[in-house]
Amino acid sequence: MKLVIKDLTKTYKNGVKATDNLNLEIGTGMFGLLGPNGAGKSSLMRTIATLQSPDSGSIMFGDINVLEDKMALRKVLGYLPQSFGVYPKMSAEALLDYFATLKGISSKSERQAIVKEVLDITNLYDVRKKHVAGYSGGMKQRFGIAQLLLNNPKLIIVDEPTAGLDPAERHRFLNVLREVGTNCTVIFSTHIVEDVKELCNDMAILNGGRILKQATPTQARMELQGQIWTKVIDRDDLEAHEAQYNILSSNYNEDNSLNIRVYSEAQPSEAFKSVEPQLDDVYFIALKQDEPVSAL
Amino acid sequence: MFSTIFSYELKYWLKRPATYIYMAIFFMLSLFMAATTAGIFDSITATTSSARIVNSPIGINNLFNGLTILIFFLFPSIIGASINRDFKSEMHSILYSYPFTKANYLFAKFFSAIVVVTLIVLTIGIGMFIGFRLPGTNSDLIIDFDIQSYFNAYWLFILPNILLFGAIVFAVVTFTRNIAAGFITVILLLFVQGVTDSLLSDPDSRYLAALMDPFGSSASDYYTRYWTVYEQNEMHIPIKEVILYNRLIWLGVASLVFGMVFKFFKFSQNALSFSFFKKKKGERSTKRNFGGITKINLPKVTKDYSFIQNLKATWKISNVEFKYIVKSWPFISIVLVGLIIVLVALADVGSTGTASYPRTWLMLRGGSAFVFAINICTFLYAGMLVNRSKIANINGLEDVTPIPNWSLFLSKFIAIVKMQILLLSVVMVAGILFQLYKGYFDIEIGLYIKELFGLKLINYVIWAFLALMIQTLIRNPYLGLFVLLVIVIGIPFLSLAGVEQAIFKYNEGSGFSYNDMNGYGDSLARYLTYKFYWVLGGLVLMLVAALFWVRGLPHSFKERIAIAKARFTTPVATAFIVLLAGFLTMGYTIYHGTNINNDRYSSKEVEELTVEWEKTYKQYENYAQPRIVAVKVNLDLFIDSRDFEASGEYAMINKTDKAIDSIFLNHNDYPSTFKFNRENTLVKEDTLYNFDIYRLKQPLMPGDSMTLDFTVKNKPNTLFVSNSPIIENGTFINNMQLFPSFGYNGGELTDDKTREKYGLPPNALKPLPSDSTALGNTYISKDSDWIDFEATVSTSKDQIAIAPGYLQKEWEADGRRYFHYKMDSKILNFYAFNSAEYKVKKDKWKDVNLEIYYHEGHEYNLESMMDGMKASLEYNTENFSPYQHKQLRIIEFPSGGFAQSFPNTIPFSGDVGFIAVVDDEDDEDEAGLNYMYAITVHEVAHQWWAHQVIGADVLGATMLSESLSEYVSLKVLEKELGKTQMRKFLKKSLDDYLFRRTFERKREKPLMYNDGQGYIHYQKGSLVFYALSDYIGEDVLNNALKTYVEKVKFQEPPYTTSIDMVNHLKAATPDSLQYVITDMFETITLYDNKIKTVSSTELDNGKYQVDIEFEVSKYRNDERGKQLFSEEGRDSISYLPEGKEKPILSLPLQDYIDIGVFTEHEVDGKMKEKQLYLKKHNITVIDNKVSIIVDEKPTEVGVDPYNILIDRNSGDNRQKL
Repeated sequence: MKLVIKDLTKTYKNGVKATDNLNLEIGTGMFGLLGPNGAGKSSLMRTIATLQSPDSGSIMFGDINVLEDKMALRKVLGYLPQSFGVYPKMSAEALLDYFATLKGISSKSERQAIVKEVLDITNLYDVRKKHVAGYSGGMKQRFGIAQLLLNNPKLIIVDEPTAGLDPAERHRFLNVLREVGTNCTVIFSTHIVEDVKELCNDMAILNGGRILKQATPTQARMELQGQIWTKVIDRDDLEAHEAQYNILSSNYNEDNSLNIRVYSEAQPSEAFKSVEPQLDDVYFIALKQDEPVSAL
Repeated sequence: MFSTIFSYELKYWLKRPATYIYMAIFFMLSLFMAATTAGIFDSITATTSSARIVNSPIGINNLFNGLTILIFFLFPSIIGASINRDFKSEMHSILYSYPFTKANYLFAKFFSAIVVVTLIVLTIGIGMFIGFRLPGTNSDLIIDFDIQSYFNAYWLFILPNILLFGAIVFAVVTFTRNIAAGFITVILLLFVQGVTDSLLSDPDSRYLAALMDPFGSSASDYYTRYWTVYEQNEMHIPIKEVILYNRLIWLGVASLVFGMVFKFFKFSQNALSFSFFKKKKGERSTKRNFGGITKINLPKVTKDYSFIQNLKATWKISNVEFKYIVKSWPFISIVLVGLIIVLVALADVGSTGTASYPRTWLMLRGGSAFVFAINICTFLYAGMLVNRSKIANINGLEDVTPIPNWSLFLSKFIAIVKMQILLLSVVMVAGILFQLYKGYFDIEIGLYIKELFGLKLINYVIWAFLALMIQTLIRNPYLGLFVLLVIVIGIPFLSLAGVEQAIFKYNEGSGFSYNDMNGYGDSLARYLTYKFYWVLGGLVLMLVAALFWVRGLPHSFKERIAIAKARFTTPVATAFIVLLAGFLTMGYTIYHGTNINNDRYSSKEVEELTVEWEKTYKQYENYAQPRIVAVKVNLDLFIDSRDFEASGEYAMINKTDKAIDSIFLNHNDYPSTFKFNRENTLVKEDTLYNFDIYRLKQPLMPGDSMTLDFTVKNKPNTLFVSNSPIIENGTFINNMQLFPSFGYNGGELTDDKTREKYGLPPNALKPLPSDSTALGNTYISKDSDWIDFEATVSTSKDQIAIAPGYLQKEWEADGRRYFHYKMDSKILNFYAFNSAEYKVKKDKWKDVNLEIYYHEGHEYNLESMMDGMKASLEYNTENFSPYQHKQLRIIEFPSGGFAQSFPNTIPFSGDVGFIAVVDDEDDEDEAGLNYMYAITVHEVAHQWWAHQVIGADVLGATMLSESLSEYVSLKVLEKELGKTQMRKFLKKSLDDYLFRRTFERKREKPLMYNDGQGYIHYQKGSLVFYALSDYIGEDVLNNALKTYVEKVKFQEPPYTTSIDMVNHLKAATPDSLQYVITDMFETITLYDNKIKTVSSTELDNGKYQVDIEFEVSKYRNDERGKQLFSEEGRDSISYLPEGKEKPILSLPLQDYIDIGVFTEHEVDGKMKEKQLYLKKHNITVIDNKVSIIVDEKPTEVGVDPYNILIDRNSGDNRQKL
């Protein structure tokens, strides 16, 4: 099933355009939504998840008109917001059972089975009797995933899920996501390029409420083949280079020299070496091109 | 740093719209209250008439303080929030690492919030100030603006209270970091105040209560409780001793509380936590870090989105919500405190201060103390549930599930109802436990269930509808609760603004009441009709709320309207229209039933009708009319349909010396027919006032007689209006309710200012007893003197019907029972009919048959009542004159809390004596002696004092009946109990008299000129006659009364007056004591007696010398209650005590006052008072010293130790050694 977003616009009361005439098509599989803080990722995801209404535009998921028939989408939706709370004095098991009820699972035995399974998947089975309110940040995040899985969702929306997870949990989480995402659409926002590289078969870069680029990660890298160059420079030379070249990133080496990466169709100079394009480069190029040209 | 935080905080509040909303609410509220009390709505509703100035210092203090109490409900969201905001926004994790001191932080937070609260209080003051002065207010009720009144109320009461309660709320919120906790604290404090108030209501604990009341109102009451109208209007609340102590105590507590906050507050991440259990032993915990997931096989689940499944889910969610409520400690604490209040209330059930058997209906009545707790829980938890997912920040997860809105919304409603059921069960459990504790096993479970989970639950459910709507619209639980409280408290006040009909006031309507005899009677159908109406109205509100239900992110108001419009789909609109139509139809039906099919008058209309009545018909007041000399009636009671049909015949005689050409027939609006046996023409028929004028063809000459035959029946009863006074079991009606009378019968407006407004002359209420032209009528009836009486009453087969007279014949016909009664001697034209399923207890006193007609199950006190009847018959017969009848009957009627004496018949309400607990086994002396006994004696005494001696219809008439009956009652008790036990009865009468006179609306006259006020003829009257018997001796007094009775009993007009009686008393009183009669009967005189110092020394002969210094002073009150220390020709005397600035003033004294010395003796292991010395001393000056030698070691002395004199501070009459 395809998610098709057309001409979506949402302006907040304070005048900020959270989504600006946005168009996007998302197919089955993992879709990474990449963007810096404040890019409008969460707004877009909340809008898809029926939590807020846009000013104009349309969203279709398969043949569900999301804005008109929110209930139909909710039946196939799994959503994990960036931050969420839980009811105090309720155990994970009880709270998941509660959510399973909300999601329309009528049979008690089925509820018990699925609750057990999602607790297992999220490594929470041992603490299922404990109050969720007392969980650590990582555990709570896993609980969030657990509740999302309850209704075998067809559309999964997860908003910066890996933030705050330790490496082991992050891996586990990404694996789970990939596994459930094989047969459905998973939209997953992050500002960590690495996540997208590891997981997604499609991605988009979002900033200022607009899609800057949409491509598969491989394809996006391929496009840049032969256009990314690197050079080791002295720290003091950075400014001169910035003026001269389109620098995408600069990293310190151990000896306090800098490794810069430059975007250029042709080799900028002898000193530059061609390197394999990374997803980071794609990300930075997209953002750079979107930057307002400062008037001199 | 202080000023930075302080001004930042202040700016924050001044920028918030909420601050201005609060100000606006309080401004409007105080404006409305002030303007209403000052009579601004007089043009649309009845005239506000009062002898009280509404903006007197005390009036301002009460209103100002009363309105301020509402502000306490805002403390959590202002004072609590000031510090809680930092926690909530997690700002504290940054802020608390900044370089400012604890003191700076806490003081700035606290005082900035106090300033904000003070600003809101200021709007109350301004609102009141403007409200009193709005154009249209009644200038007679207003005096000039006096800033000091506002100022005193503010700095003496309001500010310290704000500081105290503010500090408490601040402390609670600071430590719990939870606004709800602060909120509950406020409610608990108000509850606790209510409980201590009722526990300390006993006059002897008033000093303690004055100190203990955190609001300070008991402290000001301590001084102002007995203030007369004059004093209330003129005087400022004294800023002295008790008030200052109280304020200092509580300001101390406030600083202590704030000090605690200061001491224990830490700039720390987490709230202070308390645990009753030891911390569990720490355990190192690690999680599984390896073993990733590669394969997921989620079990397939079937999803069901059907309506049925949604209903099931709704139920399940409501269970989760219900558990949350029950586990939350605000709920637990409200229930616990509410329970204490219920138990206190239960211990106090019963009427007039005597304990009653814990009948189930009484338990249910006591359980009403829980109403406030249930309402608060409903309002609060409606808000908590509506906003719960938002507060928990779980709405992002919840709102994207496919559960429909109605299911979420309905689940909140169901959870609230479950909570209400739980709370009502608490009432039931408390009631049953109390019954068991009292060893009372007649527990009516069915009645508990019917009333609590049927009748009461509907009422609370209707509130739940409103609460859910308000809370959904407002989305801030505390603001929502505040608004709901304003609505609930405000609704009753709408009547003052002319909105009188229940259909316009949410959840109003007829109530219901239960009693053992008649159950719920016919009140139930009406109650349920109104409730059904409001359920429909409530469902409309629920639909509105559902339209505005917020799902997803918070919406702007505009968005919410748009969403609501989108949700208003055809099915919703249909439901809405159906419900609204149902609601309006029902409303119209009720309106039609109560207004169109029935003559309903607003209080404004009633007032105008009264004016019109007087203007049209007062001219006929002194028009000669024939007088009724014999009455013969047939009354048929149809119990099942609650109807009656009556017919009767009056025989009348022209007792005047003029020919009578017209008859003024004054009847009620029952369908009636009238037929005179003389030819006449109906010249005027007034169907509004039911006042008809018949012109006789041949005038009725002096001495001639005529008859009137009449029939009366009621219009059929409807669901909305009861058109007949007949009830299913326990009918009690008197002739004035049913039968016609002759001539203009008064019933005029009494307030002179209101009269002036309508162009009526001032009203003297009644003529003076010295007006010899006004003695033609008794105060009972204007158209008859003494009559012959005969009645036939029929009722259903299982009931007994009773009327005055002796049963001549009893028979059954057509399945009905008939009773024929006939009186063998003359009686007043005042009789009653009773009918119920009675049991009868019989006894005899000499040759008088005694009978008690009672409801089966109410056997508890029949013996004691019989004893009371006998004792009263004995005392009255022995001291005054023989009993005029051969029979005396007490007849139970369902409820009302009173008894009334008719010729040989005393209807006695079932809730006042029949179920009172009289067997005080702890104290044999007092066994069976209580108010029930006292009432019996009093009512029997009326057979003499009203039914033999009846006063003319002039001022002071009730002294001859009520005061004397009350005197007899006290004397009989004294005989049984001994003189020393009388103090508690006298003190109670004294307290009641002094307190109730402060509510006088027009004027207080001396006893012998009283206008018929209860506090004068009962309380003051009993004190005065008791005191007089003490001064001149019981025998002397009773002999004087006996002579008087001989002279006036069964007399024909002109009737006797209080002057006549007082003259007899004067004749029996020695010259030295004539002043007592002047003081007590002819004027309003109060003493201020007080023991100053006392010491005792043991003498060589084993005796004790007691040296007492005491003060005696007395003054008069004018009819407004102004103190007068001098009279014409008599200057006041004065005495300046050492160290005082103001001298004590007094009328000249030549008085005899009791000085008593007492000790304590052990009798059967109990300490009993023993009198060592009691003698009247002749007092001529204010300051007195005496030395008295007594035989035993004294423990207590007293000046007027038995409180037989009227003294506003009766507590300082005695002093312990």
